[in-house]
Amino acid sequence: MKSPAFNRIGIYLFVVVLATLSSVSVCAQTKRPTNPAAKSAAATAPSTNGKAIGSKNAPITIEVFEDFECPACRNFYETSLQQVINNYVDTGKVYLIHRDFPLEMHPYARQAARFANAAAGLGQFQAVEQALFDTQNQWSQNGNIDEAMAPSFSPAQLKKIHDYESLHINEINASIERDRTMGIQRNVNQTPTIYVTSHGKMEALPGGGVDYKLLQQYLDFLLRQ
Amino acid sequence: MVTPAAILKSSPRPGALPRTLLVLGRIALGFIFLYAAYAKLYFGGDWHLADYQFFFAMAIDSYKMLPMWAVEWMARVLPWFELALGALLIIGAGLRWIGSISCALLLVFIGAMTRAKILGLEINCGCFSNNEKLGTATLVRDSSLLLLALAVTVGAFLIKKRGATVSS
Repeated sequence: MKSPAFNRIGIYLFVVVLATLSSVSVCAQTKRPTNPAAKSAAATAPSTNGKAIGSKNAPITIEVFEDFECPACRNFYETSLQQVINNYVDTGKVYLIHRDFPLEMHPYARQAARFANAAAGLGQFQAVEQALFDTQNQWSQNGNIDEAMAPSFSPAQLKKIHDYESLHINEINASIERDRTMGIQRNVNQTPTIYVTSHGKMEALPGGGVDYKLLQQYLDFLLRQ
Repeated sequence: MVTPAAILKSSPRPGALPRTLLVLGRIALGFIFLYAAYAKLYFGGDWHLADYQFFFAMAIDSYKMLPMWAVEWMARVLPWFELALGALLIIGAGLRWIGSISCALLLVFIGAMTRAKILGLEINCGCFSNNEKLGTATLVRDSSLLLLALAVTVGAFLIKKRGATVSS
């Protein structure tokens, strides 16, 4: 039978091991060496077909696998991604790539993705992405994207986007499928799923969206490396 | 002639089977905790000793249960806590207390997972890897781990009690 002294030693050992390991973690964080072979993250990113914002030479690339009809994607866009765009993309620190991952459970997700891809072809992706998420509650009821977009885009602009979509439908479908296939290859199983590439290394963040403060801490950590 | 001492020597020690089961149980549970810690520190083909806390904080935060300071603190400490728990379970030191702590920890995990499931949160479990979705299977797995932890803890208390009775 183990003595009480043995039990006490166990508890002391537990505290000492915990304290030591936590200290090791803190030291590792502060002393992480910089990667001499660091290169622009965008150099490793496959084609974006205009669905990207920011400088390709930014030290960090963020890829977001999104479904325009997914409420979690809208929430992530509104609470985190817009701040990332303002504070990191616009300042040249992050290159942000949208990857289409329309889910089968959302009947109008593909239609919205085609519309966004057509807008991307005309250099209007950022505005359309924002408008699609802002009006998601509206168009996801009946698939009437034009009606939902009307306050943000003139009839002429909408016609231009639809004309582009009709003209380049095969390319657009191929682009969406390419993104989807890429997501499946990376085991994306929910939206939004976020990949961050920095110093030539790509990391997947936990799926379902990330709080801006935590994302900010991680991006600042990467930028310090 | 068969003496009482010889009979005692040849018969199996009373309580040998429960003791063996207790040892096997605590070692199994210990390795599971070690693996849980390892999976939080090593993923994507690389060690993440410098940045594991960011990823784990994101996983904890997705449960929408804790304030940010608690999320950050838990993310930093929990993998090491699991590592220490696992090591001590394998060593067998302070088993009654370490077993009780393991049960409490697993109860907290199961509570959080059940709450997330009831709320319909589509999130990752954060148990063993970044990419494991929370679902019924993860709940069943953690519940069976809790049963194992309970068995180890109760066993440790019973053996201690029996030892105290025999010696008194």
